[in-house]
Amino acid sequence: MASAYTGGCACGQVTLAMAGEPVLIRQCWCRQCRRIAAGGPANNAAFKTEDVAITGTLGSHAYVAASGNTLTQWFCPSCGTPLTAQSSARPHLLTVRFGAIDDRTGSSPRPRSGPTTRRTGRWSIRTWSSSRSSRQRRPLPLEHRDRDGGDMRFSYMPRACYEPWNDLPPAFRSRRRPPFWNFTQARLESRS
Amino acid sequence: MLMTHTGKCLCGQVRFTIDADPIGARMCWCRDCQRIASGSATVNVLFPEEAVRYEGEMGVFRMIADSGNEVARGFCTGCGAQMYSRTVVPGGLPIRIRAGTLDDPDLIAPTAILWAGSVPAWAELDPNLPQHGKGPDSPVIETYS
Repeated sequence: MASAYTGGCACGQVTLAMAGEPVLIRQCWCRQCRRIAAGGPANNAAFKTEDVAITGTLGSHAYVAASGNTLTQWFCPSCGTPLTAQSSARPHLLTVRFGAIDDRTGSSPRPRSGPTTRRTGRWSIRTWSSSRSSRQRRPLPLEHRDRDGGDMRFSYMPRACYEPWNDLPPAFRSRRRPPFWNFTQARLESRS
Repeated sequence: MLMTHTGKCLCGQVRFTIDADPIGARMCWCRDCQRIASGSATVNVLFPEEAVRYEGEMGVFRMIADSGNEVARGFCTGCGAQMYSRTVVPGGLPIRIRAGTLDDPDLIAPTAILWAGSVPAWAELDPNLPQHGKGPDSPVIETYS
């Protein structure tokens, strides 16, 4: 079988060969995925089940997900590398973890489902790059960043703004405040 | 304030308690970490090694990391969850607990990105964090134009 992608675990006990292209490519931040994926999201490429050939011994673990489906995941029992997963609702698909897929320049799968970058939780950034060929997106220019690193152009309320009265002598500083100035300041305080 | 931090693997076979506060947290994008972290970086919280107590059966995988250090990686034999990474040679380094196994994965935010040189093209990094090309002692990559 000519395989489009190959892969395996860290110790080499298990090898994977995938024929054809993945059907779905997604990133999952659920709590269960974060437990097995060392804190970050699991990056998943779902292939047709019959397209995936596996050699070696696999360990498995199954649990009932929040959706009510039973999720079975397979890993290498000698090094713990997460390899594949399957939902009871979709037995025709087998999800392969990105990390287990060998790099192949220009053909490695990547999450792609709409161009958004969102900050979630306290530190993580979720990203889907919509373009297959794009490199890493340019960092947000400094002048557009707010103090949390987000894009202040799209903030509901500006978290930092130019306060011209601060350039005046102290006697004039407290004269004029913009509307909701106290509320803005309260938000600033609670965020820091 | 000293607190006790707890955590477990996905299936509950391995549990641990930590009687110390975290020393720091970092993301590692080395190719080895991507392989065991389902394609993402490992998010590692550093603790003094003697403060961590594990219960339950764990497998240990030893390897020479990209840095040349010999590391031991603990994982749950029941569900494959990655639990920790410990540097065997050289000794004396803090143990790195995988953030996902902590009951409070938001305990501490990562403050640096390691091995940014091997980040896949689709990943987007937090522009506010220093990005080291290799390990923590390697120079920071200048990312801003």
